[in-house]
Amino acid sequence: MNDFSELENELKKLRPAQPSPVIFERVEQALEDCEAGALADTTPLRSFYSWWWLGFGLATAGIVVLFAVISFEREHKLDTATIAQSSPASEIRPETPGTEQSRVTGRFVPAGGTNVVYNARDEGLQFADGSERPVRRVRYHTQQIWRWRNPETGASLRVSYPSEEIVFIPVSGQ
Amino acid sequence: MDFIASHENWKNCFSEVAPGLLLFARQWVQSAADAEDIVQEAFVKFWRRNHNIHNRALLYSAVRSIALDFIRRDKRRARREATVFAETERSIESQFELEDDTQSALAAAVDSLPHDQREVLVLKIWNDLTFSEIAGALRISQNTAASRYRYALSNLKKSLQPQ
Repeated sequence: MNDFSELENELKKLRPAQPSPVIFERVEQALEDCEAGALADTTPLRSFYSWWWLGFGLATAGIVVLFAVISFEREHKLDTATIAQSSPASEIRPETPGTEQSRVTGRFVPAGGTNVVYNARDEGLQFADGSERPVRRVRYHTQQIWRWRNPETGASLRVSYPSEEIVFIPVSGQ
Repeated sequence: MDFIASHENWKNCFSEVAPGLLLFARQWVQSAADAEDIVQEAFVKFWRRNHNIHNRALLYSAVRSIALDFIRRDKRRARREATVFAETERSIESQFELEDDTQSALAAAVDSLPHDQREVLVLKIWNDLTFSEIAGALRISQNTAASRYRYALSNLKKSLQPQ
C-alpha cells in the first residue's frame, strides 16, 4: 500500500502553468528555419565533399601513373642488362629492322625532369629524438615534372605532381 | 511509423508535452520566458532529428542539457538568478495555476524541496515518466530515481503537516 497516494493525488491536481500562445508560433518558425537552414547547410558540404573526392581521385591517378612509369623503367633497365649480358655483341651490332622494331616501339626512355620549389618555409629549430644537436626544419613545396620519350614514335609522356618535403638541416653550435 | 515525429503532428505532440516540459525547465531558470526558450530549442532539436516521440527520456534529457548550457552561457545572469533564488527560496512567477490557499501551500512546499528531489517529482507527477524513463533522462539509476521520489514525498508530507 502506498502511504503517499493521497499526497500524490493532491499533487496531480496542481496544474502546471500553460505556455504562452506565442511559443507555438516560435516553434513553428524555428522548425521552418531549420528546414531552410538544413537545405542551405547541405550545399557547401556537398560541394566540399565533391572537391575533396576530385582531389583525391586526381592524386590517386597521379600515383598510379607514377608507379606504372617506375615499374616500366625497372623493366626497361632489366631488359637492357639481360641483353647486355647474354649478347655483348648486340651493342655494336646494327639493329636489324623488323626484328627489334616491334619490341622497341612501345618503349619510353627518360627525357628529363624538373623539380620547381615554389615555397620554402623555415619551421624553426628542433631537437631530433635522442640527439643533442639542434636541426633546422624546412618545409618545401615543390612541383615535380618528369618526361619520357619514345625515340621510335616520337611520343612523349609527361607526369607532373605537387610534393611536399620536410628537410632537417643540422645546425652547428656557436 | 505513427510514433515517429513528422512535421504534420508536431502541434499535437507539443501541446501535450509543453506544460510539463516548461515546468521541468523551470527547475533551472526562474523566468517563464527563459524556460520557454529552453523548451523551444530542445523540442525543435528533438523534432528535427525525427526521434521517436515516445522516447520521452531523450526529450527531457535534451531540455536538461540545454537548460544547463543556458546557465553556463550567461554566467553573470546565472549568478544574478542564483542570488535571487537564494534570497527568495522560491520562484517569482508561479509554476502552477493555483486555485486556492491549499494549492499555494503545496506549490510552495514543492518549490522548497532539494533540487534533485524536485526534479524527479516533476518528471513523475506532472510528466508521467516511469522511473526507468526518469533514470534515462537524468542519467541516474532507477533505484536512485525511486528513492529520490520517496524522499521528495516524505519531505512534502513533513512540511505540510500542521505544526
